[in-house]
Amino acid sequence: MWKYVKAVAIRELRIWAQRPIYFVGSLGVILFGSIFFLTFFKAGLPSKLPIGVVDYDRSSLSRNFTRQLDATQLGEVVRFDDFRTAREAMQRGEVTSVCVIPDNFSADIQAFRRPTFTFYVNGLYFVGGSLAYQDILTMINLTSGAVQKQVLTAKGVSEHDMMGRLRPVNIDVHRIGNPMTNYGVYLNNLLLPGLLQMMIILVTIYAFGTELKYSTSRYLMETAGGSILHAVSGKLLVYTLYFTAIGLSMILLLYSWLGYPLAGSIWNMFLDMFLMILACESVALTIVGLIPVCRFAISIGALYSVLGFSLAGFTLPVEAMLPFLQGISTIFPLRHYYLFYVQEAMFASGFAGWYQEAIHLLLFLFLPVFILKRLENAYINMDYPKK
Amino acid sequence: MKTISDIKRFIKQWWKDFWGICCHEWKLIAHDGGVLIIFTIGALGYPLLYNLMYYNGVLENVAVAVVDDANCAESRRYIREVDATRELEIACHCATMEEAEQLFQQRKVNGIIYFPKDFGQKLARMETATLSIYADMSSFLYYKNLMMGANFVMLHEIGKIQIERYASAGFTEEQSMQLVSAIPYEENNPYNRTFSYTIFFLSAALLMVVQQTMFYGMSMLAGTQREEHHSFARLPSQLEGAGINRVVLGRGFAYGLLYVAIGMYIAFIVPVLFDFPQRGSFWDILVLLLFFTTDCVFFCSTWSSFITRRETVFILLLVMSPVAMFLTSFSWPTTSFPFFWKCFSYLLPSTFGCQAFINLNTAGGDLSTIQPQIIAMTIQGTLYYLTACLAVFAENRFIHSEKVQRIKAKRKAVLRRLDTKVKITENNE
Repeated sequence: MWKYVKAVAIRELRIWAQRPIYFVGSLGVILFGSIFFLTFFKAGLPSKLPIGVVDYDRSSLSRNFTRQLDATQLGEVVRFDDFRTAREAMQRGEVTSVCVIPDNFSADIQAFRRPTFTFYVNGLYFVGGSLAYQDILTMINLTSGAVQKQVLTAKGVSEHDMMGRLRPVNIDVHRIGNPMTNYGVYLNNLLLPGLLQMMIILVTIYAFGTELKYSTSRYLMETAGGSILHAVSGKLLVYTLYFTAIGLSMILLLYSWLGYPLAGSIWNMFLDMFLMILACESVALTIVGLIPVCRFAISIGALYSVLGFSLAGFTLPVEAMLPFLQGISTIFPLRHYYLFYVQEAMFASGFAGWYQEAIHLLLFLFLPVFILKRLENAYINMDYPKK
Repeated sequence: MKTISDIKRFIKQWWKDFWGICCHEWKLIAHDGGVLIIFTIGALGYPLLYNLMYYNGVLENVAVAVVDDANCAESRRYIREVDATRELEIACHCATMEEAEQLFQQRKVNGIIYFPKDFGQKLARMETATLSIYADMSSFLYYKNLMMGANFVMLHEIGKIQIERYASAGFTEEQSMQLVSAIPYEENNPYNRTFSYTIFFLSAALLMVVQQTMFYGMSMLAGTQREEHHSFARLPSQLEGAGINRVVLGRGFAYGLLYVAIGMYIAFIVPVLFDFPQRGSFWDILVLLLFFTTDCVFFCSTWSSFITRRETVFILLLVMSPVAMFLTSFSWPTTSFPFFWKCFSYLLPSTFGCQAFINLNTAGGDLSTIQPQIIAMTIQGTLYYLTACLAVFAENRFIHSEKVQRIKAKRKAVLRRLDTKVKITENNE
């Protein structure tokens, strides 16, 4: 058996030498995607978000407020003369938010007339909008605190008693798994493996599909000694080794070189990656077995692998989705990779935490069993349309 | 008189070629199952699917565990108030931190709120009392909910406690109100009131579907033509090298018309089905669609001419879908783009189209709001039109020559020989 598997593997490598898309193409794409995402989110958190300020008051207090807002790391103030132009700029997405300081703001505060401070946030640009929202809220509370402090000082309250009065309750936040609220860490941990699962599915489908497309499947079967099992194992051996090498480098890149937070062991992450690679290959093989027409199979594979990103649930959690989609999400290997990763990299809960996900990923390996016969027939009879 | 009849003849011929090429392209689309999958499941199904997926864009009642070592009136009030927020739900009162951590690890809760022993004492001593929050960062929405819920309650509590303290210090209620909230604020999030994930994601994704499916469909067809040793852009034979415009416009029109229809479905019908906000006027959105579709057509014509094999477009360029998505700045703000990627984003029509759609449809602007994007798409579209013409010219002049044909035939022969070789070695063994 080993003889045939080896022969098929060598044949596959020869095809690689002939057609650069398998090796150079897929490696290039993964490199491009990884470089894109890693450099794109390099800053971790956005800074200098444009915040519009309409200052109708023009007092020292309002100017001071504007300067303070400008000096925060997150914000950068853009001044507007009237609300209309500011609103239009926000609608165009040029500023993330607009603060309106009303007329007589300073005088009203001095006289304790409690002027209302109004601000508008553009919630359509998510990260920018919510960060600007936080930034403005902090500034208002600080300004409000400053007013209180002034009055209390005038009343003779000591500095020591002041803090308790100004801020009776404080929150101490511990962010498990991403202490710096780094957006890059959050997304790249899943986007990079997501990219890999996409490539695995596409390349594997292509590798099996082209045999039919270029009518070379009978040669393949002959090389494999007439057994579909040999043919499939020989081909997959090459791809498993190749993608495992990429996947493990990816894990090393993320957790060792870039130092992304990893609470558990890197060996378990290797395991997670390896299981996902196997699961993706099985899914790809199943797709190409169900639809042994290269062009259909690859279109389906493309549509499927893109869905994996959303249904993995690292952006909008799966439990917020409709119930039937919660069920569907389990047929995406990336979903289980994500759950495994949360257990290992964030909580370090070890085998007890992730064994269910590992089993899920292993279950994918049984999928091709149902289509092997069908693929064999397709390979021998070549009775499916090539176009 | 001769010139007029010449012009007439020219126009007639032009129209005939144009229409012929257009119909030919439609025929190709209709006879290609793979492209039809992309155009139906992709372009028509994905907008529905994404709407279903993000049907509830607002995460509610994230489960949190509470460890109350303080066990005082204030901490209990705090817990009750947290439970009452829309964002959070107290799923479990734990006796110890270990118990809560275990629930956290099992992911039965996505956060822990911990009141230390001295919480109540500190409040009684009029000091700052600190409580701790442990947030699950596996999805930022958990974190956001936890922070929003806990902060909201904290601000509310601060106000209450401050008023109590001022009252005990002899301030009247009016006086303490003046101090506690010296600057009342009013927050507005007019375009996305609840920070719904659906509204923010779909505003960008809807038009992205137009660009990406058109690109994959067109590239698949171009690849097929190349594989079958046709040219994707054959000039009408009687013209002998002239008539590039006819080819580019004829092919473009075939996709353009199809995609204006698909675009209208995506921009007008899908939002109605899912109660997605539609704040722009019908005609404004239609204008945007026309500009965007035209831009996309020439963009796709240009880039698809590099595709030599049908399926390779997915392997090489499916990665562009998530990349283009992030380049629309729907999530990561444009001001924080690294310089290189900012320049790169100008290559894609979606960068402008999706922004324009967000601003027009969801933020309720008008044509003046999206003027910068319209101008950008016009410039981009014109440039891509020229490059598309160049591609057709090059295809006819250089690439589709007999010489290349011969090389291709040779390559195929090598591939075939390879398989026989393997077979022969097999037999020898």
